[in-house]
Amino acid sequence: MPHRQRFTCDDVTPSGAAPAAHQEVSDDIFSTAEIPFPSERPLNVYAFDPSLGKFVGNQMVTHVRYESLEPGPIGERFAVLDYDGSQKTFYKPVNLDDPKLLMTNGLPPSEADPRFHQQMVYAVASETLQRFEFALGRRVRWRTRLDHSHPPAPRGASRRLNLFPHAMCEANAFYSPDAHGILFGYFKASRTNPGRNLPGQTVFTCLSHDIIVHETTHAIVDGIREHFMEPTNVDVAAFHEAFADLAALFLHFSHKEVLVDTLQKTGGKLFEFKLKGDAELAQGATPAIQSQLSTENPLIVLATQFGEAAGRQSSLRSALMTPATSDGAKEIATKIEPHERGSILVAAVFDAYFTVYGRRTFDLFRIFRAGGGNVDKSDLPAPLANRLAMEASRTAEEFFTICARALDYCPPVDITFGDFLRALLTAHLDYTPDDPDHIRDALMQAFRLRGIVADNAISFSEDALFWPKVVRGSLRVPGLIFGDPNGLTKEEKDHNGDVLRAFAVKHADKLGFDKKAGEIAAPSFHPMFSTGKDGKLYVSMVVELVQTMRVPFGHGVPGTFPLRNGVTLLIAQDPPEHDKRPDPRVRFVIPKLYQPEREERVRNFYIGSGRATTTSPAGHDGDKRFRLDFALLHAGV
Amino acid sequence: MPRSRSTSATSSSPRQRKPAGSGTARKQPTRAADAAPAPAGAAAKGANGLRVRMYRIGFGDFFLLSVPTGSGASHILIDCGVHAKDLGSMRAAVTQMAKDCGNRLALVIMTHRHADHISGFGSCADIFAQIEVERVWMPWFENPDNPKAAAFQASLVAMAGQLGRQFQMRLAAGPDPASEQLLSMAENITGGLGVAGIAANQKALNVLHGGFKGSQPNHDYYKAGDPPTLPPDLAAAGLTADILGPPIDDALIGQMTNKNQQYLAGATESSDQPERSKPFANAFRGKRDDYGDKAFAPYGFDKMLRMLEGSQPDILAAQAQAADKTLNNQSLVVLFCFGGKNLLFAGDAQWGNWENFLYGGAYGTPGHTQLTARAQDILGKIDFYKVGHHGSANATPKDAVKAMRLGCVGMCSTQEHAYNEVPRAPLLEALRQRMNDQLARSDQIAAGTDAPANPDAGPLPKAFSAPAHQLFIDYDF
Repeated sequence: MPHRQRFTCDDVTPSGAAPAAHQEVSDDIFSTAEIPFPSERPLNVYAFDPSLGKFVGNQMVTHVRYESLEPGPIGERFAVLDYDGSQKTFYKPVNLDDPKLLMTNGLPPSEADPRFHQQMVYAVASETLQRFEFALGRRVRWRTRLDHSHPPAPRGASRRLNLFPHAMCEANAFYSPDAHGILFGYFKASRTNPGRNLPGQTVFTCLSHDIIVHETTHAIVDGIREHFMEPTNVDVAAFHEAFADLAALFLHFSHKEVLVDTLQKTGGKLFEFKLKGDAELAQGATPAIQSQLSTENPLIVLATQFGEAAGRQSSLRSALMTPATSDGAKEIATKIEPHERGSILVAAVFDAYFTVYGRRTFDLFRIFRAGGGNVDKSDLPAPLANRLAMEASRTAEEFFTICARALDYCPPVDITFGDFLRALLTAHLDYTPDDPDHIRDALMQAFRLRGIVADNAISFSEDALFWPKVVRGSLRVPGLIFGDPNGLTKEEKDHNGDVLRAFAVKHADKLGFDKKAGEIAAPSFHPMFSTGKDGKLYVSMVVELVQTMRVPFGHGVPGTFPLRNGVTLLIAQDPPEHDKRPDPRVRFVIPKLYQPEREERVRNFYIGSGRATTTSPAGHDGDKRFRLDFALLHAGV
Repeated sequence: MPRSRSTSATSSSPRQRKPAGSGTARKQPTRAADAAPAPAGAAAKGANGLRVRMYRIGFGDFFLLSVPTGSGASHILIDCGVHAKDLGSMRAAVTQMAKDCGNRLALVIMTHRHADHISGFGSCADIFAQIEVERVWMPWFENPDNPKAAAFQASLVAMAGQLGRQFQMRLAAGPDPASEQLLSMAENITGGLGVAGIAANQKALNVLHGGFKGSQPNHDYYKAGDPPTLPPDLAAAGLTADILGPPIDDALIGQMTNKNQQYLAGATESSDQPERSKPFANAFRGKRDDYGDKAFAPYGFDKMLRMLEGSQPDILAAQAQAADKTLNNQSLVVLFCFGGKNLLFAGDAQWGNWENFLYGGAYGTPGHTQLTARAQDILGKIDFYKVGHHGSANATPKDAVKAMRLGCVGMCSTQEHAYNEVPRAPLLEALRQRMNDQLARSDQIAAGTDAPANPDAGPLPKAFSAPAHQLFIDYDF
């Protein structure tokens, strides 16, 4: 689905391009000769990556919100800096405001021109950010420092993230809070087993749509949650990988051309792994021409070129790697490599997605068959394919939104797959109480079939899995300022921080904290403004409260580790009654509190993953070892 | 997991961990000594004549277990290698060992193929050619009939070779202790290249596979849970054995062979070209001034460059460490039982190997967060523990230490300054407490005049004996 409708805000004059001051004040406030600012900027990108060539829809135009750009591109939220650390050189930055490029949707797709790479990285990262901000109903800020022991970053750092499209000559790409940016590598394809690439050809990770979305998602999640990157249990790293993969995969379904083509080639069964070739091939016969070859379904696989260039026969990962069988359910106890483990979560969410898609298109297929159509012949008429594509992309949009919103319903620390399931269900219930297509049930069953259970839920039923709701009115936070969708001022933020910390101390017992165990901080609070299905505007705030204890490893292991207890609060601002604005009301308290077993589990997990000892020569790394390092994670070390 | 000695496992094993607190109160971390030990068992007499001998060769393992049988002592050799900090005493020690066993070994156990566990087989091949061996046990990764295992080992060695070359290139640029250690780590996997270009470890493996005297031994390749076959005289004498590790880890294999290996292939191919590959034509080269003032705000250009460089970890180093760990985790972990005494030889098993034994699966996955009853039972009654990985922190999980019987005996073959933080003093201290001070270190005795005893290691505890001017420490049951 194109996002045209979303950003039609052409009445907002982008800053930096303010109209000249000599403008005469006219009496007529309804007419002007000025040319309105465009609401969006179309840019050429690859829908997948260069290896798919001119495969239907691979070269597409994406639309990002218009802003005036300096050469780079340097915009408000992203700065593309093309410095190559291996070659120690800059590459010429693209000027997307050049009139020649404005007329042609930017540069045409090309592997040889670094300026197209810059354009694609900018376009796809921006698109990803916009999708998240739309789903979350608020602005996302970037992380600026690892923790409070570091000096604060200079002003403005939280607004803009750096993108380095050719940072190094390595088969790797990663988000790094240290560099305040995303580093994309380039490398030579395997000489022995390069897949569709030429042996030894240079492969650019910054030309893979999936990789850009994946890394941008890591950065977004890190910006939203302060302590989410601490691998305190076996699920944490896997969760990050899965979540980033989900964002990349769901974005595939917004590419209409590919979607329609895939629908036609699979006879509407979007979840099939193989697409039949364009030309007929008899059963068991050997393909003679290229159009008889079957190909991987591009919608449900990730990073094809990267996977093949690295010597695999296929793409990096697929959406449906864990089957919905008892064998699939066993994998939750055996797979611990983060990407493999993450693929279990991805498979569960996509199982639910395809199930709901099936429910929503069932009637269309019935109508088609009733009219004498044959779905086994897989050649769907274009109008049917278009209708199916609409459903598929609407459903994908919905699922992406649920996943993004679920972030706000996760506990602030120590996330597990089970927590994410509970967050998904609660978020969906909260935003869409009625559920005619049984999305929640589909999610629940898909998770259950893969052995993902929630630790503290009494039973595996919808009611038990929703986070418990605070009794209406029993917990209030007087004095909290919600501001408006344009954000809070620094003063308002400071005020809110004070209010929340005082609230946490006062109600520590109710929230489940042990006051004596340590100070309770409020690392983040985000006002949110969203329109419910009933058309009402809901004003709420998501708050993290986190308490950090320093706990010794003990037993022959020197040193201490941070053990964090926390709750996520969802606070609502109700409309005024009798001319009085009621105090903000706490709706959910989503806990991850102290338990001796949890302390022991975190301790063992840190020791087992080699984090008990510092590797830095100084012997002190400011707790950096207790955070995920995506550079190593993505290199597969 | 099928077990041969499961009957004894049902005997009461007092849970050594405190029961979990009621949940509301915050528990202080348990530092205090744990609950009471299991009873020692009264079968001390039954193990008379059983002896463990540890040879001092430097940073490496070399153990001889001698078991009294009907026809005199029968001998089991567990590893024979040295890598870093070679004291030059290997040849003398192997000669001694050949004498000790009368050129006849009932069983040879190779825990894993690191040079510091097998180099002696290669460097003293002529002595081993004079020794008769009845059986050889190795981890399942060494089975030549298992194509997956063979391919895996081959790729691991190839990767270590490539890593070694990279670190050598770094060292060629200038001395650097960190790179030296990484090179040593990589060469521990290959054994280093000999004069003929054959990896030294391959030579040692060749001896293990067929370089002994006369008719060659039977080879067994074991994984956790396999019922092992003992030579008849040992079995008749009442010795039993359990294999506790390594687990079958398909995931581990898949991970190594695909991603890591390939990643490295990409990295080395580009760097072995004299001029580094240019991704773009020169026309596209730019400079800082091509960007506007705003571009490098808010950090500024210089800071941004430093941040960019600082954010790229040394992936090759991480790779070398991962490969080292992978190989350690292949370690064959054997529990011997003789005359009521239980002896645990854990090779260099690290967390990934231990966790399967301790928790019954990957730690932290559903149902695998507590020590299994069986692990508690076994550790609660061990009498002897060969300290894993020369006393490094990652090779004896604290849950294992906590569960070990108070007052069991330990031997640790080690040498300081071979690797950072090995041996790990706090771990040895914790073990020493657990063992009532009965922990011997190989560097507590001198190996000739050039390698005196390490004064920091303290004196040899009384429970052990070490004849003067000899290269070994004994523990007699």
